[in-house]
Amino acid sequence: MSELHRLQKDMMAWLMQKDEHIKPDIIDTGEVNKVSVEQRLAVYGNAYGYRLIDALSDNYPAVHTLMGDDDFYEMSYSYIAVNPSAHFSLRYFGHKLEGFLASYNKGLPIYIEMAKFEWALRNAFDSKNIPTLTLASLQEIPVERWGELQFEFHPSVSRIDLEWNTPQLWAAIEEGADPIAPEQLEHPYAWILWRKDLLNYYRSLDVDEAYTIDAAMQGSDFSSLCEGVCEWIDEEHAPARVAGFLSEWLNEKLLINIRLDDA
Amino acid sequence: MKLPSLGFGLGLRKEHYNTIIDTSPNVDWFEILTENYLVDGGKPLYFLDKICEKYPVVMHGVSMSLGSADPLDMDYLQQVKDLAERTNARWISDHMCFTGVDGINAHDLLPLPYNEETIKHVSNKIKQAQDFLGRQILVENASTYITYKQSYMTEWEFTTAVAEESDSLILLDVNNIYVSAYNHGFDPLEYLDGIPAERVQQHHIAGHSQYDGYIIDTHDHDVVQGVWDLYAESIKRYGEVSVMIERDDNIPELPELLAELQIARDVFHANISSSKVVSSV
Repeated sequence: MSELHRLQKDMMAWLMQKDEHIKPDIIDTGEVNKVSVEQRLAVYGNAYGYRLIDALSDNYPAVHTLMGDDDFYEMSYSYIAVNPSAHFSLRYFGHKLEGFLASYNKGLPIYIEMAKFEWALRNAFDSKNIPTLTLASLQEIPVERWGELQFEFHPSVSRIDLEWNTPQLWAAIEEGADPIAPEQLEHPYAWILWRKDLLNYYRSLDVDEAYTIDAAMQGSDFSSLCEGVCEWIDEEHAPARVAGFLSEWLNEKLLINIRLDDA
Repeated sequence: MKLPSLGFGLGLRKEHYNTIIDTSPNVDWFEILTENYLVDGGKPLYFLDKICEKYPVVMHGVSMSLGSADPLDMDYLQQVKDLAERTNARWISDHMCFTGVDGINAHDLLPLPYNEETIKHVSNKIKQAQDFLGRQILVENASTYITYKQSYMTEWEFTTAVAEESDSLILLDVNNIYVSAYNHGFDPLEYLDGIPAERVQQHHIAGHSQYDGYIIDTHDHDVVQGVWDLYAESIKRYGEVSVMIERDDNIPELPELLAELQIARDVFHANISSSKVVSSV
């Protein structure tokens, strides 16, 4: 190992573990403004934590608000200790927070779910720009071939299930409204989040639409989707129900491709 | 080769996107923070594309980690190259520092020891980056708070040696010289005298935070008079160089930054006549 590499390892160990092996390598310039080696190293040591905590707070503002400053900072230092950044951009720092909170001793279920919700919003915000389809795209396809249709969703779309009033809590925090209490629901609700043009959207789904989106995302064709929704409605109404979903998805700019088997 | 000055610029910040697009303020060019736009899509790239239609743009990154013992991240460099093509970036800059090692990123501009080993190491990495990007890059002097015992030359001697060895250009941050001069007790004018004018492509000017016995380069305050005075001295030595106000936190409304940019113009015009540099190389 080169001397340069050794110095850099020791400096990183100072930042990450407050390991003081780097100290003998620093010139004591106590005569300059009476600032000690310890004070000089502390500038870097403190900045390391502050910068990563700021990044976590930027990516998870509602988790920060729910936890409050003290608990959020304490949690962040714990997260940073086991998940140092390995990416060139702070945009992606905190991608393991949901999983981390699940095993964190102060990780209440609402914090975990909010982390999931905010990370999905984060991903929707700057996901790839891909042109979306309009209703006209669907109308170009002969009705007799609709059964073979498969669907491709915009990369901003996330499908998540939530057991708490997380979206309502997030909206209240985002708008600076009066705080509302976290509330566990009687049963989980299905949600989608996506970006339409430049703005993020989210909405809840009825159980048959949630099934239809999940199956469509996994490659089921229109016929299979119609068979699937028969669990909730009559067979004769199934095609109209699924076509209604499709129409809505196209209006909401959720779809980027409709494929026929031979296309 | 050093390019002609772009004039007086600002750092592009998201808080100002709409004002810039709606009002086309009197700014000659914008510097973008490279990593903010290394994303797949959405608002950041939408607004960047709009602004690139109206203004020249240069790219300023924090992740090349030119001093790190780790090799260059070629995936990162490819993204930088693609963004430069998308924005028609006039130039690309990064810092004289390491930001991490062994695959871990501290996201800070960490200091290097100033010696022959480091000159060779950094210069080789700059050459690799320049070869890949197909252009000279600018390397900025970072503000520092420590000095390693392994350093046996001044920062300006080191900066100059790296620029010469790698045939790169210099982004001379006037505020960083002011900060480091205070923190280490050297003469900032000696620093300016030691930097070759023909390599200085751009200046940064910024605010900082004064603490008890040291200054931290926070970019969250107005530019202080001492930094304006040092900028005046740099004009006398380097002549007409692209200059911009770098504000990263506590970001004010755009008119406040435009007023600060006007100070830069005034300082420039008051000092350019005593410049020793006749023309750009």
